[in-house]
Amino acid sequence: MAGLELKSLRKSYGEVEVIKGVDLSVEHGEFVVFVGPSGCGKSTLLRMIAGLEDISGGELFIGDKLCNAVEPRDRGIAMVFQSYALYPHMTVYDNVGFGLKLAKTPKDERDRKIREAARILQMEHLLDRKPGQLSGGQRQRVAIGRAIVRKPEVFLFDEPLSNLDAALRVDMRMELSKLHHNLGATMVYVTHDQVEAMTLADKIVVLNAGVVQQVGSPIELYQCPANLFVAGFIGSPKMNFVPVTIESVGAGTVTIVGKDMSPITVPAQTSGLQPGDEVTLGIRPHALDASQSGAIVGRVQLVERLGNETIVSLQLPSKADWLVVLDGDRQLRIGNSLALDFAPASAIIFDSSGLARHPAPQALGE
Amino acid sequence: MTLIRRYWLSALAIIFSGIVFLVPFSFIILMAFKDRTQAQLLDFSWPQGMHLWSNIVEVVTTRNWMLLTAFINSTILTVASVTLLVIFAAMVGFVLQRRKTRFNGLIEFLILAGLMIPPAVVPTIWLLQGIGLFGKLHGMVLVEIAYSLPFSILLYRAFIATIPREMDEAAIIDGARPLDVFFRIVLPLLWPVTVTNIVVQSVAIFNDFTNPLYYLPGNANATVQLTLYNFQSQFQTSYNLLFTNIALITIPPLIVFLFFNRQIVAGMTAGAVKG
Repeated sequence: MAGLELKSLRKSYGEVEVIKGVDLSVEHGEFVVFVGPSGCGKSTLLRMIAGLEDISGGELFIGDKLCNAVEPRDRGIAMVFQSYALYPHMTVYDNVGFGLKLAKTPKDERDRKIREAARILQMEHLLDRKPGQLSGGQRQRVAIGRAIVRKPEVFLFDEPLSNLDAALRVDMRMELSKLHHNLGATMVYVTHDQVEAMTLADKIVVLNAGVVQQVGSPIELYQCPANLFVAGFIGSPKMNFVPVTIESVGAGTVTIVGKDMSPITVPAQTSGLQPGDEVTLGIRPHALDASQSGAIVGRVQLVERLGNETIVSLQLPSKADWLVVLDGDRQLRIGNSLALDFAPASAIIFDSSGLARHPAPQALGE
Repeated sequence: MTLIRRYWLSALAIIFSGIVFLVPFSFIILMAFKDRTQAQLLDFSWPQGMHLWSNIVEVVTTRNWMLLTAFINSTILTVASVTLLVIFAAMVGFVLQRRKTRFNGLIEFLILAGLMIPPAVVPTIWLLQGIGLFGKLHGMVLVEIAYSLPFSILLYRAFIATIPREMDEAAIIDGARPLDVFFRIVLPLLWPVTVTNIVVQSVAIFNDFTNPLYYLPGNANATVQLTLYNFQSQFQTSYNLLFTNIALITIPPLIVFLFFNRQIVAGMTAGAVKG
């Protein structure tokens, strides 16, 4: 069993650099999720770990072994593909046992391992069927079975749930989580679905344009995003942003004012900030609440009433669109104005380079 | 009445194609039953008397059982050529489709050139003589492979494009070496096209007349199509024996066709639309 260590890993196709120096270390047994928008290089990074793509620069360690030039079969990895990639001409039994057969595992041992994997995934009754006779969820199980039968050090998943329907996806997500718990193996999982990322991961790696934006636990990323990109990507609905100007700088706080809001004081890490600086204020939709004396006033554009909560789309005076999630059922009329308030501690200030200015921990405690 | 009105065109087409295909075939069969004098008339008449058996015996035993030698030669030639053809064409198609290099354009041009440029017989004979393969069965096998390769590659390449690349990658992760990927995963998945290839090419090679005539001289090397020359000459031709011979050597390709008919069409259209 082993962890992973990526040291300034790079990948370029000719002139185009798609992975621009990724540093990452994964402990043994961790569940790591790569998220990011399409084309951010997350699948490429996974395929580099798998050995399906050459590494243009940097070093990849699996366990303690440098694996840059090691063949995929010798890396101790197994991979589950988005399209499952089952061999259509073989039965489930042969599909699961294919890797063992290639490794020239003795027949009785092979049989025992295949049945063991089938038992773990509760698919013993499917062993004689061909992939064409299986449903999407069953195929997914077979693909996972093919991975676990090889007892790899590291499991790699490339968007394994994106071909399933919504209900099945929730089920399989839980099963994957259970599987990780039972096997205790290192798993690397690529997805663009942030619910999967938040629920499965021990550690999320947010990628954009081939650069790691932030690495951290799901809650860390949600509460303390490192920059505008992570703040906007993690969390659903997405965080609201508005450009504001600093009016005055206090001890661990700044007072900000903008076209859309009356002055308000929020905690922030103030070093280097001066009155008059242009910064961005970010507030989660759930952190906002309707209030008569609210600092922010907008016009209601759209109301979605879900019963337990009400999602309101607002237009601010500066034409910026915001989403607000209010508790419970609210009856709001489209076109009316709505005043909003928020707890200062829930606001995040981003400086002009896009970096978050989280207040120092002691400021939070006060 | 409505039946006739609705289907007359189809009926006409069936009758027309029936005549076009069945008349020549029935002519062959009828001739094979006739004796020498009646066959000489070359008319479409009912045979007088039953001479099929004596014709067959004579055809088979002529020139020291040459037809048997020819059947053995043709079978070896066809089986060897088609087997190698299937493997080589699938390999070339696989590599050409999967590995994009800057030589791909050139290779594709060469394949098309092989399809378009007529083979030059004399230089080929000269080359075969140079490497000592002229008039040898294995030389002939190589020639047939070379002539049929471009078409087979084109058939395969289009189909390999429909096999997802993830299938190869899954096999590589499972520990497959390149030859494992090809023989255990890709080749079995190519079965529909392989059947088409086997049928089309084996019929073509089995029925090939001109190439064995050029490259495979000598009685010991005769292939079935060349045995037709046994019964025609400048001054006299035994038409009853000639047509009996034709009937005998038409049977194997016919069986192949009847057996694989459905799969041929499936393979020809496979890859055209994703099923």
